[in-house]
Amino acid sequence: MSVPGRGFAFAATREVTKASLELALARAVAFARALPAAPPRAALPPIPPALGHWSSPCEIDPFERSLDERLELLLTAEALLRSDPRIVRGEAESLAQRTIAAFASSDGAAVVQERTECGGAIAAHAAADGELQRRSYPSAHGGSVALAGHEHLLALDLPAHAPRVAEEALALLSAPPCPAGRTTLVLGDEQLALQVHESIGHALELDRILLGEASYAGTSWVSPADIGSLRYGSELLAISADATLPGALGSFGWDDEGVSARRTMLIEDGVLRATLSDRQSAAAIGVASGGTARADGYARQPIVRMTNVSIEPGDAGTLDDLIADVRDGVYMETNRSWSIDDRRLHFQFGTEIGREIRNGKLGRLLRNPTYAGVTPQFWGSLDAIASPPAWRLWGLLNCGKGEPGQSAHVSHGAAPARFRNVEVGVSA
Amino acid sequence: MTGDGERALAHRALGYLDGDQAQATVTSERSLLSRFARSAATQATAIDDTSVELLCVLDGHTGAASTNQLDDEGLAAAASRARAAAAAAARSGSGPYPGLPGPAETRPHEGFDPATAMLDPAEAGAALNAAFACAGAAGLEAFGIWTAGEVRTAIASSTGVTLTDAVTDAHMKVIARDEHGRSGYAATTAVSAGAIDAAALAAAAAAKVSATPPGELPPGQYRVVLDHAAVGTLLEFLGWLAFNGLAHAEQRGALCGRLGERVAAPCVNLADSPRAPGTLPRSFDAEGVPKRPLPLIQDGIAHAVVHDTRSAAQALASSTGHALAPGGAPDGPAPTNLVLAGGGAATLEELCAPIERGLFVTRLWYVNTVEPRHALLTGMTRDGTFLIEDGVITRPLRDVRFTDSALRILAATEELTAGQRLVSDADLYGRRFANGVLCPALRADGFRVSGGSA
Repeated sequence: MSVPGRGFAFAATREVTKASLELALARAVAFARALPAAPPRAALPPIPPALGHWSSPCEIDPFERSLDERLELLLTAEALLRSDPRIVRGEAESLAQRTIAAFASSDGAAVVQERTECGGAIAAHAAADGELQRRSYPSAHGGSVALAGHEHLLALDLPAHAPRVAEEALALLSAPPCPAGRTTLVLGDEQLALQVHESIGHALELDRILLGEASYAGTSWVSPADIGSLRYGSELLAISADATLPGALGSFGWDDEGVSARRTMLIEDGVLRATLSDRQSAAAIGVASGGTARADGYARQPIVRMTNVSIEPGDAGTLDDLIADVRDGVYMETNRSWSIDDRRLHFQFGTEIGREIRNGKLGRLLRNPTYAGVTPQFWGSLDAIASPPAWRLWGLLNCGKGEPGQSAHVSHGAAPARFRNVEVGVSA
Repeated sequence: MTGDGERALAHRALGYLDGDQAQATVTSERSLLSRFARSAATQATAIDDTSVELLCVLDGHTGAASTNQLDDEGLAAAASRARAAAAAAARSGSGPYPGLPGPAETRPHEGFDPATAMLDPAEAGAALNAAFACAGAAGLEAFGIWTAGEVRTAIASSTGVTLTDAVTDAHMKVIARDEHGRSGYAATTAVSAGAIDAAALAAAAAAKVSATPPGELPPGQYRVVLDHAAVGTLLEFLGWLAFNGLAHAEQRGALCGRLGERVAAPCVNLADSPRAPGTLPRSFDAEGVPKRPLPLIQDGIAHAVVHDTRSAAQALASSTGHALAPGGAPDGPAPTNLVLAGGGAATLEELCAPIERGLFVTRLWYVNTVEPRHALLTGMTRDGTFLIEDGVITRPLRDVRFTDSALRILAATEELTAGQRLVSDADLYGRRFANGVLCPALRADGFRVSGGSA
């Protein structure tokens, strides 16, 4: 609710009755009137009214499958993880979630969107002699979750991967630590997806760039004047924000302001071309909304979020091809730790597993691998990205932002990639 | 603050549950949160919502469902889902859940302020105006939030538990920032919104913004003074990594094999104290087990970990009242009222005095776990990092990255301030569950800076 001459405020109600709606409106108005007068905001350019219905793909309705069937899958996988007494904890999880949201606005919008999300994961924790290692499949953050039906969970085939996951967790207990130094780094696609998320996706949220998130999530090393000219990385770097990707968690028909889903190139040939934006932030710099306003439920106001921010695939072939061109380096896979400063510039990541690379081949296992860098230098060191067959979508369910906090579900497409002269083995 | 409505709703919901045992938990939140940036109000959210969590226990398994559809139809449907989940699990064989706790006496606390529960939006407006004026007088812009909330909780269970609790909390943080992006931070968290002095917060934040260009500090080990906010963040992580009874029982905890041993300096006394003055008190945990003080580290010696009913059964111990969800959270219990006892230093300046060359850290940012078994963390400093030379703060520094163990820092702690503050990030995701760490500032040796900001 906007009160002329005062501020903006948001309120919601779980009861869709006239009386409840009026109460929610009264709360918003009272709150807005109590706040200091805000400076005038840029007028919002009109948008075509959003009208219609949108559904995500769903071949097998997860809610038509029995709980017993889903549970049996998880119990089977978890039992296969416990192959050794040193496996102190096995985890198997699945998610099935359906959201039906109706949206109407004074701009004439009237849409209904239906989303079905499915996925799952397994993880083994191994402990011995004061060491603890975790290995997961297919990723560390809730596994692989997609806008899809039960077929996505089945395709993951969690039980088939459980023995390998347990074996790797055990092997990591006695693996040598990742050596420290500067070397060639090859990242698996899941870790690269999180690298894109943290050091590109968040940095290109226009509300952050305009200092609107300085109180919590932070700001950005990017400024509005950088659009069109800033070299973000090497010429191989191409980043898209695409809310039309089938199966990706950040896809929709319309965003939560009624702006239609679209694909926008954020970075092309390593140069910044656009940002993520909602109607208000876009109007502030005189561009059209990027269509990325999202709320995590009816009781939170939409804010600038990622949709599906992906690194475009390259032409370097397979992961093996990337490794073949490395005389001395480290391969890292599956995120374990992540941290980046409030301008999205200085980062440090750790992964569950590392492998030595010697003379173009993978060597011994390395435990507790970490790497650190500075965003433009790191992306500037990108010298190869695997080809389209190696490109996959990775869903994240825990993208936190906003006050009160909101958790967004997003996906990132990524393929394995290679970086030269990166600091690895950061330790205490 | 009777909670009669929540209690009645909990009992009504419980009536839809069957199984070996059942629990209904009602949580009602009313809150206001106002954000500001560049000395202007930006977003404001008013929340008034009630949710019900239903737990069904069958043959050692739990099934849970939640709803905010509070009519009979909504409650019955949620109860049916909870039972179906428990029944499906039970068909796989007996489970490890030992059963819901029975009734126990809870003690009153000072965690409810009627004036704060009024949720007067004018208080937010006044606080923002005061912060803007104070920051403006210093030539700076203010960023931050003001928030206040009231949360009422009721639990009814088939084991005879009938409990209600009502708490309030208020939080304001101010980040003062200049045109170069140099920033300072100050915050207050309390039971009462009346404890917030917005002008004082803005002044404290502004005082940390130096006109001197920041210098760089190379990686290495430094003596450090960690201000209250930085200490609170470290302890919050340590709460999960060291004192989670489930992780401890599964050999994943940072104190595995170390209970009864020295893990910190003798001056370190850490407890979970749910009714200590200055905390955000609670009467009971998510299973209805009464909250009571629990020493965790005494004179540097590791003393205990915390339990919910599930982890206690695994460890052959008793619940300490630290369940985070009905039936126990999948990741285990955690302390929510950590209190680190103060020391002998009267001021921050006194902490700095013995340091020939070191670091002053206002707060930490984006801290994450690198190696959980060793409580090894990494993160950045933010909003006020300074160089200490010859015992005094001399100039600002660019933010630095640290990679260090929270336990090692406590082991290397030399002195603490007498004064404590309640530290909270007010990460209010989902249903409001305000909590914080009551702690002093401290001085430690060998703080490990692993990288810097250019």
